[in-house]
Amino acid sequence: MDERPVYLETKDLVVGYDGVPLLSGVNIQLHAGEIMTLIGPNGAGKSTILKSIVGYLESLGGAVFISGKSVGDLTAHELSLELSVMLTERMRTELLTCADIVETGRYPYTGRLGILSDEDREKVRDAMDMVHVWDLRDRDFMQISDGQRQRILLARAIAQEPHIIMLDEPTNYLDIHYQIELLNVLRRLVRERDVAVIMSLHELPLARKVSDYVMCIKGDGVVAAGPPDEIFTPGVINELYDLEPGVFDPVSGNIKLEEERDEG
Amino acid sequence: MRKQSDIDNEFGQSVRHQRVTVVFIVLFVLLVFLAALNLCIGSLNVPVADLPGILAGQDAGSTNSQVIWSIRLPRLIAAALLGGALALSGFLLQTFFNNPIAGPFILGISSGAKLVVALVMILVVGGSGVMTSGMMVVSAFVGSLIAMLFVLLVSRRINSMSMLIVAGVMIGYICSAATDFLITFASDANIVNLKNWSLGSFSGINWSDIGIMTVVVIAASIAVFFLSKPIGAFQLGEQYARSMGVNIRAFRIALILLSSLLAATVTAFAGPISFVGIAVPHIVKRALGTSKPLVVIPGAFFGGAIFCLFCDLIARSVFAPTEVSISAVTAIFGAPVVISILLKREKVRR
Repeated sequence: MDERPVYLETKDLVVGYDGVPLLSGVNIQLHAGEIMTLIGPNGAGKSTILKSIVGYLESLGGAVFISGKSVGDLTAHELSLELSVMLTERMRTELLTCADIVETGRYPYTGRLGILSDEDREKVRDAMDMVHVWDLRDRDFMQISDGQRQRILLARAIAQEPHIIMLDEPTNYLDIHYQIELLNVLRRLVRERDVAVIMSLHELPLARKVSDYVMCIKGDGVVAAGPPDEIFTPGVINELYDLEPGVFDPVSGNIKLEEERDEG
Repeated sequence: MRKQSDIDNEFGQSVRHQRVTVVFIVLFVLLVFLAALNLCIGSLNVPVADLPGILAGQDAGSTNSQVIWSIRLPRLIAAALLGGALALSGFLLQTFFNNPIAGPFILGISSGAKLVVALVMILVVGGSGVMTSGMMVVSAFVGSLIAMLFVLLVSRRINSMSMLIVAGVMIGYICSAATDFLITFASDANIVNLKNWSLGSFSGINWSDIGIMTVVVIAASIAVFFLSKPIGAFQLGEQYARSMGVNIRAFRIALILLSSLLAATVTAFAGPISFVGIAVPHIVKRALGTSKPLVVIPGAFFGGAIFCLFCDLIARSVFAPTEVSISAVTAIFGAPVVISILLKREKVRR
């Protein structure tokens, strides 16, 4: 049906910690130029899935294929050409400029000592321009705001020029202005460069707007999956987040508090 | 037409390059200056003007020439090489544990090396054999690896940076105490040397020691330099490093082996020496204004060499003819640096 290449595929993936399965039956199919978003309550295991796909956590069953190859057969270097990441954990650096951080995205392409060529520098420049952080290039990474740091890390992921970009809660620490800007950048990435994006998000209205495909994680597996129109219905969302009917409207994003309901 | 921002970028880069160049020139000048001082100053003062001649091999029979060639020059080379090794070992451990006050001495790795060297020395000398410098290096390496293993076991269980250091200090105490027992109960004439050595000193190093030391330290340092790239990736955290294509397992093993080998070589020849591994990389990073390993690694090596030349000069000349242990001097200059690191971190956290 879909002509575009499948960049990421999981088949009956089982994930969990220390050998204890947390979620099973995770089947993902992510095409080039597509944004897939994982949503679900806190602690449902969205990050666990992401971490298992890239092998930070050992998967407990099933298979992961990246560009058609089993992820276990890829060397760390081959994987780095396919996929870059932006993680939630806070990064502590010492005396590194923002440009230094983005330059590490060129790691897979540089030689033995990691010295950047002019072409690498251009790619770094492009990535930083795309996220509008070029002006921050000489600032110390530890001395900028959390939101700016997130954007630098996104630029880093872009500079790595992968097929797939994986983002774990990328809108954390961002105010609404930068949340929207970040999602615009992601849309531009998939449109202009045919990158595939897989991420976890908390903000439902943003997820609805930006995603091509949404996967709902709860309990011991995927409770619903499909295009945003099918997912952002009161039925699915109320079930996913244990909401009473009428409290949250997934299309408008409107919420109703207790006192309002009592009045009504 | 060139964009203004391109020009700005080049300007920013050239400023940074200039700073690095200036720092390396200063390091080089300091190294030459301290080397000359170390050669000239002592119970017998050699005029600076005579140095070039003596080093060129003239006047071979004179007392000055003998003092320089058989005592001061080997000692100088040892202090420089081992100082560089200590600084690199510290830098690797700081990277590995992501902890700015990690170092071979504070984590007990030097003391582990000391214990095994003392043990082997007593066994070998007790059996009336001769301890070669090769054997010293090997037993020190074994000792430092054992101590490193303990530190690793502890670090798996605890996540706190300060607790890791406390655990390392404890491992160091245990090893030092065990060494003291060995020294007390062994009563061979050679043990006198052992006691001096276990306090830390660059004295009594001969040319055959220098040979082995040079090979090991230079080879390990070059290997460290070629790890610059993955170290740079690792500075962003393990998961990011992995996503850039670093083979984390191999990288960790390389870091452990190289940092232990460097620390062990120092301990084998000069005993445990404190604080160089923490203070020097810190100062060098501040001076260079970056923590990029490609420049910090050579900078730390030179910095360590300079720091130890300076401290050794003080150790042997301030209370001459009595020598102070090198560790006492490095602690006086190094410990305040550690305190300043801690204070700065506290400020950042708030």
